[in-house]
Amino acid sequence: MECRNLWKIYGKIVAVRDVSLEIKEGDIRLIFGPSGSGKSTLLRCLAMLTTPTKGDVFLRGECLTRPGVNLNKARARIGFVFQLIWLFHHLTALGNVELGLRHVLKLPKREARERAMQALREVKMEEWANHYPAQLSGGQQQRVGIARALAKNPDIILLDEPTSALDPELTGEVIDTLRDLAKEGITMLIVTHEMPFAREVADEMIFFDEGTIVERGLPELFFTNPSSDRARKFMERLIERRRRE
Amino acid sequence: MIFDFLIERFPLILSGFLTTVQITLFGVLMGLGLGILLAVGDLYGGKTISTIIKFYVEFFRGSPILIQLFIFYFSIPTLLKIPLDGLTVGFIVFGLNSAGYQKGYIKGAMESVYEDQMTAALSIGLSKAQAIMYVVLPQALRIVIPPWGNEFCSLTKSTAALLMIGVRDLTSIGKSIASWTFRVLETYTFIALIYLLWISVVMKILDILYDKVKIPGIEITA
Repeated sequence: MECRNLWKIYGKIVAVRDVSLEIKEGDIRLIFGPSGSGKSTLLRCLAMLTTPTKGDVFLRGECLTRPGVNLNKARARIGFVFQLIWLFHHLTALGNVELGLRHVLKLPKREARERAMQALREVKMEEWANHYPAQLSGGQQQRVGIARALAKNPDIILLDEPTSALDPELTGEVIDTLRDLAKEGITMLIVTHEMPFAREVADEMIFFDEGTIVERGLPELFFTNPSSDRARKFMERLIERRRRE
Repeated sequence: MIFDFLIERFPLILSGFLTTVQITLFGVLMGLGLGILLAVGDLYGGKTISTIIKFYVEFFRGSPILIQLFIFYFSIPTLLKIPLDGLTVGFIVFGLNSAGYQKGYIKGAMESVYEDQMTAALSIGLSKAQAIMYVVLPQALRIVIPPWGNEFCSLTKSTAALLMIGVRDLTSIGKSIASWTFRVLETYTFIALIYLLWISVVMKILDILYDKVKIPGIEITA
């Protein structure tokens, strides 16, 4: 997946400012940065859940920002995990994962069920398949959210702060799930502030502020010697917070 | 017995009751179908469609149902040169009228589940129409059951206006019996009891339905 010179402007507010980014198959990229810096908006633009004001998004060489592209088909190839989870309340865990397989990929009932169960197994939720979202903990819900994104075998999964709505214990179980996915070589772009996890799995870390990429590089760079002032301050604060915890 | 005169006329009363039931059920169901279309049209149809729907709703909510019955009963057959009997007019007007009200309930319910659920649905690759069909409506229609009960209640009672265009509904039959027998108090009390019983039964059924389709784990306390 790739984006070139991407802009998103709401009225007078520039949420995303001239961002270019390329993610290769099997890559795990991490985005971090202050709240309100446009990370979520960038992810939504990449998934074409909101239309960029300027610039182009490519998925396996196909331009998604060109007029006339079938966006539903494109979105079916991009997994998205939301910060506030957003499962379908009226469907069971299994139903949540199955819905897209049945109606987007048009799989026959049995095959859809098998694949949905497979996805739930990968996030260790198969025992909870018949529970409704409101009967699950936040961490379990988010794992179902990941299974929902994973089941359709997407080219890439975009995760928008998948753990920031969860307490530390629940965060742990979701991070474990993501670590498993990382081992399987699934392409992911993750917005997160879970630094130990980042250090462990990321191929590249991207520091994002005021709608644009301030600094990018290997995790070690950020943990030892970030070159920009803002990134250094932000890292110091994150590490400080972790020490207090 | 003092109620003998009513028991003798039981078949007549029953036929009136069935007419009332038919028109109400038809009206509420047609109103539901059309109401869903109007709500979806209003939310997604763009400005022109939205304005047309607004006029439609204002007409049916803003004028007495009796006037609506008169318009359809006296004007439409003359204008379009098609014969319409009172019963047909009853079906049509109550369906159209109820749709006007139900559109409001359904739209409100859709908006309450709409935004995050819609985004999530689009993110897995569903089209907008599919998202409405499989994600938004199933949740919205659950919420709409209690107001739907109110709608049923008021529609049932409004059918009494059908007497003015010659439909032999329950009220109309009651009026005839009262004037034949001069037993006004007993007759109308009995007729009122039938309405009351019928509405109570349906409300109970809706209560049970509401409980049955409730999403497990979610307690709606509103």
